[in-house]
Amino acid sequence: MTDPEKPIESSAEEIDEGPPSGEDPMAALVKRSLAEAERARTPAPSILRGVQRRIRKRSRGKFFADGWSTTDARVSHALIAGAMLLILVVAYFALGPVGVQ
Amino acid sequence: MALPDDPDSRLIDRLVARDERAFNELVRAYEGRIVRLLARMVGNEEEAKDLAQDVFVQVFKAVGTFRGDSKFSTWLYRIAVNLCKNRVKYLRVRHANEQDELDSVAEKSLGDARPAGGGGLGRPDEQLAGKQVERIVQEAIQELEPSFRECLILRDVEELSYEEIGEITGLPAGTVKSRIHRARAMLREKVERVLGEKIR
Repeated sequence: MTDPEKPIESSAEEIDEGPPSGEDPMAALVKRSLAEAERARTPAPSILRGVQRRIRKRSRGKFFADGWSTTDARVSHALIAGAMLLILVVAYFALGPVGVQ
Repeated sequence: MALPDDPDSRLIDRLVARDERAFNELVRAYEGRIVRLLARMVGNEEEAKDLAQDVFVQVFKAVGTFRGDSKFSTWLYRIAVNLCKNRVKYLRVRHANEQDELDSVAEKSLGDARPAGGGGLGRPDEQLAGKQVERIVQEAIQELEPSFRECLILRDVEELSYEEIGEITGLPAGTVKSRIHRARAMLREKVERVLGEKIR
């Protein structure tokens, strides 16, 4: 197997450039045809879970091992920390005076 | 690291720092483009999705080696194209005949593109009027040699510059232009042969 980061081919060929893309009717036809195939395709589910699973397996659990990094929810840690603080403050004021008396 | 004007530069910094959430953002941002590119190149949606997962695993592994000489998206495309080539080679060895594999996939995905009986494709005026031509082109693209197909798709569908395609494929820009021109010529010949008419 070759290194996926390195380009594979480097051979030179004779230069036969043809007309620019905008002037070639085949270029427009290729674009239209593949766009048509795209429209016919149903939207695929995200591959994210599969990628995370592969990385977790290959890193032997070092990455993507917890619920935070693998969850689909986009709520940030800061937002959850803020909500927890708010709950604690409310609980303090609600229960604190009762405890003093 | 990344080019200063690369919109992904902050994301890349987080990726290098092994921020798993940044990686999730990266996958969400690019998965559609990468799966579509691979599906066009291998002609099979399931194979493309499997391959795309490997692409992102490779990105996760190697993001630290990204030097920022090119746009991050170009680097990502290069990984995708090279893994795709490796997969095609693997399939060729495994199935002995890669073309049979791609043909059968194209045959399956085109399904009802051909009229019953498997003979001709109907009158040319009917074909030109409808979506039949586009289906014929899709089939003809899958019949192109992979190295020509990838240059054609990167240029005509992904709308990358010749220089970017050169960076992705490792070919000189002149060779890229030449391959695209020849790919279009081969495609034109195949499509015109099926249609029995000239494309204008």
